[in-house]
Amino acid sequence: MEVEDNMETITEDEAELYDRQIRLWGLDAQRRLRAASVLLIGLKGLGAEVAKNIILSGVKAVTLMDPNMIDEEDKMSQFFVSSAPMGQNRALASAAPAQLLNPMVKVTADASDPSDKDDGFFAEFDVICATGCKNSLQCRLDNLCQEKKIKFFSGDIFGFYGFMFSDLGRHEYLHEEIKKRKKDDEDKEDEGITITREVTNFSRLEDELKFDWTADTPGMKKKIRQTPSAFFITRVYEEFLELHGRRPTVATMDMDTKELQNLRILVLNKLGVPAKCIPEDFYKYGFGELSPVCAIVGGVLGQEIIKAVSQKDAPLNNFFLFNGVNDEGMVDKVSL
Amino acid sequence: MALTAALGNEHMNALNKCKVLMVGAGGIGCELLKNLVLTGFTDIELIDLDTIDVSNLNRQFLFRKEHVGKSKAEVAKESALKFNPDAKIKAYHDSIFSSEFGLDFFKGFTVILNALDNRAARNHVNRMCLAADIPLVESGTAGYLGQVNPIKKGMTECYECQPKPSAQKSFPGCTIRNTPSEPIHCVVWAKHLFNQLFGEEDPDEDVSPDTEDPELTADAGKAALDAEAKKDSIGGIERKSTRAWAVETGYNAEKIFNKLFRDDIKYLLSMETLWKERRPPQCLDFHDLPGKDTQSLSTRSTDVWSVQECADHFSRCMTELKQDLAGRGDSGMLVWDKDDNHAMDFVTSVANIRAHIFGIPLKSGFEIKSMAGNIIPAIATTNAIIAGAIVMETLKILVGKMDKCKQVYLNRVPNDRKRLLVPCALDPPKPKCYVCSSKPECSVRLNSSKVTLKTLKDKILKGYLNMIAPDVEIDDGKGTILISSEEGETEDNEDKFLSDFGVGNNTRLKCDDFLQNYSLIVSVVYVEKLEGEGEFEVVGDISECHPAEDEASASTNGISSSAKQTAEEDDDLVVIEDLEITDTNQALEIEDISESRKRPAEDVQPPVMAKRRAAEGGDSEDIIEIS
Repeated sequence: MEVEDNMETITEDEAELYDRQIRLWGLDAQRRLRAASVLLIGLKGLGAEVAKNIILSGVKAVTLMDPNMIDEEDKMSQFFVSSAPMGQNRALASAAPAQLLNPMVKVTADASDPSDKDDGFFAEFDVICATGCKNSLQCRLDNLCQEKKIKFFSGDIFGFYGFMFSDLGRHEYLHEEIKKRKKDDEDKEDEGITITREVTNFSRLEDELKFDWTADTPGMKKKIRQTPSAFFITRVYEEFLELHGRRPTVATMDMDTKELQNLRILVLNKLGVPAKCIPEDFYKYGFGELSPVCAIVGGVLGQEIIKAVSQKDAPLNNFFLFNGVNDEGMVDKVSL
Repeated sequence: MALTAALGNEHMNALNKCKVLMVGAGGIGCELLKNLVLTGFTDIELIDLDTIDVSNLNRQFLFRKEHVGKSKAEVAKESALKFNPDAKIKAYHDSIFSSEFGLDFFKGFTVILNALDNRAARNHVNRMCLAADIPLVESGTAGYLGQVNPIKKGMTECYECQPKPSAQKSFPGCTIRNTPSEPIHCVVWAKHLFNQLFGEEDPDEDVSPDTEDPELTADAGKAALDAEAKKDSIGGIERKSTRAWAVETGYNAEKIFNKLFRDDIKYLLSMETLWKERRPPQCLDFHDLPGKDTQSLSTRSTDVWSVQECADHFSRCMTELKQDLAGRGDSGMLVWDKDDNHAMDFVTSVANIRAHIFGIPLKSGFEIKSMAGNIIPAIATTNAIIAGAIVMETLKILVGKMDKCKQVYLNRVPNDRKRLLVPCALDPPKPKCYVCSSKPECSVRLNSSKVTLKTLKDKILKGYLNMIAPDVEIDDGKGTILISSEEGETEDNEDKFLSDFGVGNNTRLKCDDFLQNYSLIVSVVYVEKLEGEGEFEVVGDISECHPAEDEASASTNGISSSAKQTAEEDDDLVVIEDLEITDTNQALEIEDISESRKRPAEDVQPPVMAKRRAAEGGDSEDIIEIS
């Protein structure tokens, strides 16, 4: 993001509108936000939450991209179109209500399939966030983003379960810490803020997913135990999406349940992890996208985009995994 | 239907029968209403007294610029109906304290969801839910932090089981008046000056030099007094009230400036002991100020104004505030409000002029607004996450699995156990809680021959113990009535002292609040004089963290203050982590126990721009008076 040379000052209107957040992350962070263009792929429940959060925050531009039509499941989580007639394109139908959230952000819609876009198309963005996409597309976009120094995010929701992944490449950010310091002239303590410049390195999604879980060591057993259940569970749904080019749906519930049960075994075998990593009845809680789960994962994802763009505060590295069945909302790096 | 499949029949059946009350339609409320409507809650009522402000729009996404000034409850309802036109939503643009929302009203709901911004309202809803025996989900956010607390009478702690210490800082009077060393000291002084000149005069907010500064030796104080006598005779500046003097000058900016920033500073300089080990202040003259050679006059709140610019703004504000005051009639007065530009610019300019005098760094109007208005930062994402967590807990309550509910804390960074959202076991009620125990009691230390009935009513029962309309009788078998909530019955007695009614050591006062269905026995402990400055001190189980005279809502955001307290205690977590846990379930249980009092610890740090964060909540949410 080449914004350093073009850091216009925040206008009084912006200071007023963004008052409560500038007081949290500061003027410089807000200026960086204002310079960022975001491509948001996938406008289901999670995509709508992310769109809302980053448009409210005051980024420069958001492109909403989704080749699919509004469907029955959007009623339970996609608030831009939850009462819109089915059959319209999701991105196009979302653009107008999304724009209303903040007139200062340029919101555009694109009904094309991201798989059909060539690499050049993606280069113009500062951030790409892919929700509801096949794993193979996520990996392709991630690799492309790292080549072009674009911040990459992906995520998805399956009923009570959800995940977020981020790859910020080599990411520099400012870290603030409030420290008690002794004052020279008096004997009392005082709070001082120290700001340091930090660097974190991220891994590629495809490398994370290639992680070898099979070592028969106490260390690996402990690691498996400590890995959030939502990581293994969402792998089953990702596998389903990859194989069938669609998500499990209520209309095909019986058939999809059987397939999910098969895929559970397949994923367990593929990763080489014990059966208890994925509860047998996991499939009961994985249909549709629950609105509160979208809100939680979309809130975390939105905040991570804001952090990445504003280069303020340590980013979560690199999965956020939510399991609404047991209230787990955890951060993990598989390859660590 | 897709939703039924996603939630399961059990949830869906419970949802169809459920009637939910949302208290608050602000930051958390907007997100929560969206989640409720989409999740299939179709019978929703919401209450909010507030109207929409521009500074809400960065996160309260049901509102837009054209809604500014309108009722939050009404607009939220209209916007949310677009998500599901079939939902039944009833909006009240009203105060939750209104007697319209009595016990029967609360009993009509399956569950109550708080999305509030201040402690007084939280306390009240807590009591109403206890009285009505309806489950409550309490919540709060502040910046990146948030929490959700399910509450059920007899099963969990109530909102008031844990004392909530004041997050407000107070400063010694002599620091404010004589020896400021931080920008905040100048801001507090500037707000005091505002009240002295235009608002309600408070003797505790004197802005003149303090001759009783403990640092002054008797001689030095006397010397200063002598000097003052001399000056008064020569300069004709009598030590009359600042207000009276200002009115006499016709609020002449130059005269007031030179008195405050030249003459009073000279006077302070005469107290030489103060400056032996400090940088002495430097007098200013209205016509010879730093920055006078530049022609500019910045009005941008994000700029730091020069002293000359501050003086120019000071002059302008003086004229404008004088007019504002005149508009209030003869005995009218102004109330300082951070959103009033005249009042805010006045404080910015005055605080910076004083800061310059004392060699303290100057601040932008934006930064000073944070300090003076005690604004707690608020962002959309935190509210979204917390509103999501509220619904997840509510779903469990609806299917009768309250025992599976957790308190949920949102951290800024994951804890040692990788958790960003930390679920903690619900704590049982505190047996001696002065609100939810079966026979609530507390003790108050005071001098009954110096405390009036009015103080008992307004400061102790309403201000401190959060009653709305108390009735008080002496528990002496005769039932002598001290205070009646009925108008016209006991007002005449209000200026009388408690001792006039025979109240003394060990007198038990039976205090009732009819609306809250709340009875409390207050035992009087007679003391001649309290150690601190206050008139009373509430003692016993609830006293530990309550400094006396905590009238204002301190941490208004519901971020439990114990969160802050446990901040330094997080070492325990490390110990737990060292236990080699062999089974996932067991690990969970241990965590529940060990973390049950572990609030979002390491994260509780003031954000960079708002040094004095108390804890959010509000929109007014965010505002706490500091002085």
